[in-house]
Amino acid sequence: MKRKTLSYLLRVDPVRCDGFGHCAELAPELITLDEWGYPILSGETFARSHVELVQSARLAVRGCPRAALSLQSLSSSESN
Amino acid sequence: MSGLTSPYFWYTSRTTGVVSLVFLTLVCVAGILVSTRVGGRRIGRFELNEIHRSLSMSAMIFVGIHVITTVIDTYVPIGWISSVVPFTSPYKSLPVAIGTVAFDAMLAVWLTSLVKERLNFSSWRAVHWGSYVAFVTSALHAYTVGTDAHTHWCLYTLYGCLGTLLVAGIWRIFARPERAAGRTAYSPLQGRTPRR
Repeated sequence: MKRKTLSYLLRVDPVRCDGFGHCAELAPELITLDEWGYPILSGETFARSHVELVQSARLAVRGCPRAALSLQSLSSSESN
Repeated sequence: MSGLTSPYFWYTSRTTGVVSLVFLTLVCVAGILVSTRVGGRRIGRFELNEIHRSLSMSAMIFVGIHVITTVIDTYVPIGWISSVVPFTSPYKSLPVAIGTVAFDAMLAVWLTSLVKERLNFSSWRAVHWGSYVAFVTSALHAYTVGTDAHTHWCLYTLYGCLGTLLVAGIWRIFARPERAAGRTAYSPLQGRTPRR
């Protein structure tokens, strides 16, 4: 049986990012900073059902002073 | 409507004008703190950014009330068009026009920030420098047209706002933004070595 699942991926636009570091304060479970203060994203997709992660990701996207983060929704068909 | 002939719109307009200038000062100071990357230990950087954004909403609400009450009040003949187009007011044309420029600048900064993620960063930033235009014109407008501008409490408020932003502005020029990880960006051109 095929089921549609929705998952998210947090992305950063490296041109817009200027290492303010707000995202790492808002979503520490998804973002760590390198030694110059630029974000390192885990690059893992997470399910919509993972409410805490989605919430943190949204806060980080909204909180970025450069609007460099975006939350990409991926719909994938998975067979169960 | 009796409301239109009562003095309360006029009083509200005068009061919210002064309050707007105070809020605008606080918004600019908070914005300077965000751009110079203050915070990280005692207060989160994101918290300063939230303060900057919330204060700007308050400033827009107060300046909105200031403009609306000025227009609907019948004490001075200032029409709706004068809220956005300078030099259209028959009452104190130049000082009101300065206020109009201030309001336009505030609107531009506010609206571009609401759609920031859809804008090219440098255009957003160019418009955002308009905050200083808004501040300077607001202060001038307050001084030249304010009914209460020459009372002591109002003058002290005005000087307080000007002094605060002057100090913050000078500090911004000389402050070296600290990077998130606590290091200063190393640039070979500046001949500086990284801390630690």
